[in-house]
Parts: sequence; structure tokens; C-alpha cells
Amino acid sequence: MRSKWAILWLLVVLAVGAHQVWFWLSARLDTDVLALLPEDEQAPEVGAATRKLADGASRELVLLVGAPDWESAQRAAEVAREELSRDPSLLKPSALDASSLDVALELYRPYRDRLLTPAQREWLTRATADELGGTALMKLYQPAGPRLTDWEADPLGLWPDWWAARAAESTARPRDGRLWLSGEGREWVLLAFHSQVSAFALGADGRITGVVERARAAVTAAVPGSRMVVAGVPLYAEAAASQASDEMSTIGIGSMAAVLLLVWLTFRSVRPILLVGVSLVIGCAVAISVTALVFDRVHLLTLVFGSSLVGVAEDYGFHYFAARQGKPPSERGALMRGLLPGMVMALLTSVVAYLALGVAPFPGLRQMALFSATGLVGAFLTVACWFPHLDTGALPVTPFAQRFATSLARWPRFTSTRAWWTGTAVLALFILGGLWRLKTRDDVRQLQGAPAHLIADQRELGRLLGLPSPAQFFLVGGQDDEQVLEREAKLKERLDMLVADRMLTGYRAVSDWLPSAEQQRADARLSARAEAQAVAAVAQATGEAPTRASFADGVLTPEQLLASPASAAIRQQWLGTMGDQHFSIVMLRGLNAPSLLPHLAEAAQGLEGVRWVDKTQEISGLLQRYRQLMGGLIVLGYVAVLLLLVTRFRRQAWRAWLPTVVGTLFTLAVFGWVGEPLQLFSVLGLMLLLGMGVDYGIFMLEHPGEGSAWLAVALAGVSTLLSFGLLGLSATPALRSFGLTMLLGEVAIWLLTPCCRLPPGKDVS
Amino acid sequence: MRRVLLLVTMLVGMTASAQDVVTQVRARLADVPLLRGGFEQKKTVSGFKKPLVSRGVFLLAREQGVLWDTQTPFASTLTLTRKSLSAQQGSGAAAYHLDASKEPGLAAVNEVMFALLSGDVAALSKRFRVEGSLEGAEGWKLTLTPTDAGLVRVFRVIHLEGDKYVRQVRLEEARGDVSVIQFDKLAQTPSPTETEAQRLAK
Repeated sequence: MRSKWAILWLLVVLAVGAHQVWFWLSARLDTDVLALLPEDEQAPEVGAATRKLADGASRELVLLVGAPDWESAQRAAEVAREELSRDPSLLKPSALDASSLDVALELYRPYRDRLLTPAQREWLTRATADELGGTALMKLYQPAGPRLTDWEADPLGLWPDWWAARAAESTARPRDGRLWLSGEGREWVLLAFHSQVSAFALGADGRITGVVERARAAVTAAVPGSRMVVAGVPLYAEAAASQASDEMSTIGIGSMAAVLLLVWLTFRSVRPILLVGVSLVIGCAVAISVTALVFDRVHLLTLVFGSSLVGVAEDYGFHYFAARQGKPPSERGALMRGLLPGMVMALLTSVVAYLALGVAPFPGLRQMALFSATGLVGAFLTVACWFPHLDTGALPVTPFAQRFATSLARWPRFTSTRAWWTGTAVLALFILGGLWRLKTRDDVRQLQGAPAHLIADQRELGRLLGLPSPAQFFLVGGQDDEQVLEREAKLKERLDMLVADRMLTGYRAVSDWLPSAEQQRADARLSARAEAQAVAAVAQATGEAPTRASFADGVLTPEQLLASPASAAIRQQWLGTMGDQHFSIVMLRGLNAPSLLPHLAEAAQGLEGVRWVDKTQEISGLLQRYRQLMGGLIVLGYVAVLLLLVTRFRRQAWRAWLPTVVGTLFTLAVFGWVGEPLQLFSVLGLMLLLGMGVDYGIFMLEHPGEGSAWLAVALAGVSTLLSFGLLGLSATPALRSFGLTMLLGEVAIWLLTPCCRLPPGKDVS
Repeated sequence: MRRVLLLVTMLVGMTASAQDVVTQVRARLADVPLLRGGFEQKKTVSGFKKPLVSRGVFLLAREQGVLWDTQTPFASTLTLTRKSLSAQQGSGAAAYHLDASKEPGLAAVNEVMFALLSGDVAALSKRFRVEGSLEGAEGWKLTLTPTDAGLVRVFRVIHLEGDKYVRQVRLEEARGDVSVIQFDKLAQTPSPTETEAQRLAK
């Protein structure tokens, strides 16, 4: 009977093994932080907008090379360009293809008369015939200037201004064949590169980062006083990948080594080490395979988090070997059967706690939950099905194990004495005081563990270039394209006021490149009237009979614009149709102070179809909602676990339950006293404490007074501590906070659990 | 996605990259920190049968800018400095002003204009391919072909002729218009009047 289970499990393990080979060869790993974030279930268009903005930038690398003067800046830029284009299979310069401007000019040319800037509109409405005629004459007699059309097609010289307004999108200006800007005490050259490898494909091994760092070194070596600022999604992706794999090896290998060392100290035998190792490896493999099958891709942070799983999954092996020590090999089958009820109960509470993580609709959390739960089941099944078959030799009691097992008798136990009650009162005061001081924080930045220098570079670049923010924008919706463009125009009027008040430096909207049909028709009428007057005045002054060129009959439509490569500038912002609505994004530039955000939210108020999206705040709000939700679930979880315990342990159930409750409160109190805020990820840690902490109580109650159970609990506790303690080293704030919660809670629960053990000679039944 | 925007800035900015230099011409040209004189401009524009002729005076002050004052057929002033471009009609009916801080491409326009008037071959060769020949004992001719995509859109070719000074500029625009500007009464004095200095300080 038992060997049938062993063979069955062997088949599963073989299948998992085969899947593992395929998985690691095809590198289906994910490093994108966005993939961890939940969809906004109320507004899918907001999610689509964010994705579209993120996709567009996923391969771009933008550099500014600066030096104290223009000559050396150009030299430095040349050095950087050479270094970066050394491997064309990695990075390609984003060529400024002159033909795409020609395409844009030709697309817009027939509609020139209906493309006016707000200032031109205002001037044409107000200007007298004399002024119009005089201006046309002056421009006509001026030595050559930047003209884009024949005189007849633009007698007032309006078009270059319209293009200049479009060019104001970027602070960079052409100079000597390069893109130049001046700021922060330096002259800068703007360079852009396009990554030839997908930003999120693993296996790049930080190649782009490497090339960039080489270029940076070459630039500073070649030109004194120079500086290179770089930003781009590929760098973030590589940083995330290398950080995650570093942490995986520190945490994963670290806790694995610690666990195996403990096993060696306790059993002084290779067999337990090998078998516990096998159960851990199989557990992790099962976890990865199941996660990959369910989610298609496995996120790197899942693996980092999963590395700490080792600290929990070895519990089953420990229990078996702790109980097995000093017993003859023939008893091992019966022994396992005796351990199973407690083990299954412990497995259930842990799995339930892990799966509860998945209640929150964070794809990232769901992965971690599934990963952990299946990893535990895999390790448990390996212990239950295989250990009695593989563990055939003798396993004598070691002096270390002996000493430890007997230490249980000397461990203090709670009794109704004055000293214990005083201690309890002190602890209660400590906990109440800490809880009183406990603060919460729901900041999205805790999800980001990006290196500080990348974030600093990104900020500097954004500041110098005046790039629009991808995290805050307006989403404009309407029944059709025309309505969207009209609504954009209304919003822009309000934004213009904010720009005038210097709250913003500008914005980028589709309607800047494609005015609504009605606007186009109005502008065409306005320019026709003004230009007719100007042409008449010029005819009179010169004695000739120039005529005004004719333009297209219809208006420029979204379809025409989108079909042309000229729409590259706005394609990301034109979302098109979703459901029965059409959407576009209006992005903002120079949004530096968070205190301005409410003004922007206000700007959208009362405008139909316009919605202010603050992604940062939205995610923070989401984190807060789920922190509260999970907090409530924890309370419910404690009630449910208590009921579960009562069914088996009756009136003694509190002995398994109370240490975890007190440990949890103690952890919160410490957070309160040291000023560490409570956040979603610490709450998730508390959830796991519920599942794991109760395990210790269960084992102590199942096997009262047994030194071997105490030994197993001690080993489990110490190894869990080690693995989560290592998680506290993670550079991702969310994981670190989670690790700290587990660390503190585990210590407290582990110390308290034996204090609540049954008095000697008493039994649960 | 920024590509078209960048191109637009290139166009508006009108700058160009460097090219080889014809150095002998530089030796024949006087170094002019200040130059004033008269001009006659004949501009052939599509849609107009006859060339549009204008006359006036100009002042060029190195590092400051150019004053281009048309006197006939109508009075108008053009002031081009590092900071701005402004134009005004004598009658006051029309005026416009462009701010270089909002449109830094103006600085480049200024540089080209300044270099053309003063025959600054070194500056021109950054933005044009310069070919030329020496004429007689003092004279020279230069042909400037823009090398930069942005500038190609504005000029097809520019011819310069002169001796100690630039005597004639022929601007052939990309769209077919041609301006021929002749200079006379060229002198390096007097220094700017108070009014002129004020305009240049704008």
C-alpha cells in the first residue's frame, strides 16, 4: 500500500523533472514589476493606458552626455556613441530619419490652413487688415528664413510657428547636427538607443548595463568634467534580474546551507541531510513547475520569496527524523503513521495561510501563494511517501539532540504565580503601547527595489529633458474620436491656465497633432479670411497679383493620421476604442511637486469624459485597501484556526493558539515602538505567522512531553528564522518588511510556545 | 516615439554639422568686430513675376547681433540678437517678436546670418560644405552647400562673393526662391549709436 504511493509520487516527480528541464531552457522568467500589480477591475481602460505607455518605452535607452562647454560635450558624446554602438546586436542608435519628417510634412501640407496654435488663433481674430498686410510684407521682404511652403501657401508665415510649438515638446534643440540642451551648469548632447533584445527576456546578463557602464567610464576618462546620465527600461529590467538572482542565491542557498548544517549537528549522519535536501529540492521543483503551468511565466520575485520556503518545508523532514532518532529501523512505518495526523494538520494550516495570500488580486501575490503552497505539499509528500522507504539504516541519538530534547523539561512553563502575572502585565503594557504608536504606510515605492543611482539618473534626465510623467495623466473618453478631441481641447484650456501659473511646464495631447474636425474647420475659416486680407495688401503694395494657394476640402482624420508614420509621436496616447468608448491620454510635463496633484485632479472636475489618473496614488490606495482587507482576514483566520484546534484539542486548544496571537501582537508592538510602519507586506507576513506559528503548538500538543517533538519544533523554528532573516536582507522593501515581520514573530512564537505546553503528566485527551 | 519631435526641432533649429574649410579665403577677409553698410536685396519669389527689390542699411556687431533696416519700398526694422528676433514696420501697423529662450533655434539662425555677413568661414564650415576659388589679387568666391538635414530644407545653396568684405550673398532657397543681396558703403565705423545699442541689447 505504502509503496504504491511511493511509486505514484515517483512518477509525478519524474514528470516535474522533465518539465524543469524545459522550463530552465526556455527561460520563462519575468522581471517586470508591473506584472506583479493588479489590474484595476473598475477601469480596465486605465490599465490599458498604463500598459501602452510602458510598452512604448520598454526598449528605449535615453542618454545625456554633458560637459562644461559645448566642444567637450560633443567630444564626450562621440566617445559614448562609439562605445555604445560597438555591438550592433545589442544596441542600435535611434536614427533620426529625415524622411519621417518629410512624411509628416507631406501629410499635414494640404491641411496647413487649419493647423493653428492658440496664440495664432487669438492674433488672427484680433489683427487688423493693416497689421496682417504689414506682417505679410515684412516676412516677404525678409532675407531667407525657415519656410516650409511656397509663399502663396503660407503668406503670413504661420506654419513654422505651428511646428515650433510641436517641437516645444522637448527641451532638446538641434545644434551642429546633434541634439543639444543646456542645464544644471553643463552643455548636454542627447543620444537615444534602441535595445535589440527584449527588456524582459532573461539571459541578457546585464549586458546593456555593462556596455553603458563601460561607456560611462570611457566618457569620464576621455573628457574631464564630463558626465553621463542614462535612463531606460532595459537598465531597470537588468538591475531587477541581477538583484533577484543575487538574492535567490543568498537567501535560497543561505537557508539551505543553514538547514543542512542544523541537520548535521543534530543527527551526525549523512542520510537525514540527503533526504531533507531531496525533499526541499523536490518541493521547489514542484512549486516552479505548477506555477509555470498555471501562470505561464514565473516572476523573479516569486523565486526570491519562494527561496524562503525552504525554511518551512524542512519541518516535515525534521519531525520525522527527530522522532526516528534512537528507534530501530523496523519501527519507521508505524512511526510515520503516528506522525501523520499532526503533520497533515500543520500542512493544512500552512497551506491555508499561504493560499490566503492569493485572496488579494495581485498577480504577484497569487504566484507567491501558489508557489509556496505547492512547494510545501511537494516537500510533505516526499517525506510521507519516500522517507520510510529510503531511510533504512540506524539513527542513534546524538549527544546534541539528547541535550536539546531534555532542555524542554527546564523550559519555563506558565503557571498562575505572581511573577508570571507580573510578566504578563509588563508584556501587555508593552504591546498596548506599541500598538498605540503603530503607523501605517501604503507607498507604492515599497514594490520597487531599483538601485538608487538608476532612479537618480531617471529623475535628472526627466528634469533636464522635460519629459512627461508616465505615472500621472488624464484619460479622455468619448462616444467617438471627434468627441474625444473636443473634450481634450476643453481640458487643454484649463491646463493652459496651470501652465501660465507655472504649475506645469506643458502637456502632450493627441489634439495638438490632430485638432477636432470642428476646430479644423473653424481655423480654416479664420486663416482664409486673414490670409485673403494679407494677400490683397501684398498685391497692392507690389503691384502684382499673387493668389492664395488652395487647400484640401475635407479635414485631417484620425484614420489618415494613424495610417501615416507621422503619427509616431502620439500613437501611444491614442488608445482607440474600448467597449463602446474611445479614449486618449493627455500627458503632463514638468510635474515636479506632489503638492500640485490635487490641482490637477481639480482640473478634470466638471469636464465630461475626463478622468485624472494618478497611478502612484492608485496603487498606494490599492495597497491600503488590501492591507485592511488582509488585516480583517487575519482576525477571521485566527477565529477559524481556534475552532479547528478546539475540534481536536478541546479545552487545551488555547495552548497552541495563544503563543501565535501574542507573538503577532508583540511583532506589531515592536514595529510601533521602533517606528516601522505597518504595510500590506508586513500584514502578509502576519498571515503566514498564523499558519506556521500554530504548527509548533500543534506538535507540542500532539506529542506532549516528548523531547523529540520539542527538538523538531526547535529545528523548524531556527531554520525558519534563518531563511526569513535572510529575506530581511532583500533590497526590495516589500520583501524586507515581510522578512522582518516573520523574523520577529517567529522568535516570539517560538519562545512562547513551550511556555504554554501541557503540565507534565497531563494529556490532551 | 520622440523621433518626429526631434526631427521637428531639427528643422526649426536649422543647424548643420561641420565640413572641410577653404582656408585661403579667410586670409583675405578682414576681421570685423563691427560692420555697417547699405544693402540692396532682389528676391525672386514664386507667385511674383518681378523680383522684389528692397534697399536699406545694416549693422553687424559681433557677439551682439544684426540690425537690418529696410528703407524702401517701405520702412521696417529687423533686429536679430542672441536672445530674440523682432521685426517692426515703420508705420507701427505690424510687429512680431520671437524669444530665443522659447525657441533656441534662433541662436543658430543668428549664427548663420552673422557668419554670412561677416564671411566667418570657420563658423560656416560647421554647417555647410564650403567650396571656393580665389579671384584676382583680392577677390574670392565661396559656394556653401548645407550638410545638415534641417538646413537642407531651407537652403539649396548659398554663394558668397567678396574681397576684404563680403560683397554679395546669393541665397537659393530649397523651395526655389532666390535672394541676391549686394552690399555697399561697407565700413567698420562708427560704433553703434545709443538707439542701435539699445536695440542690440534686446
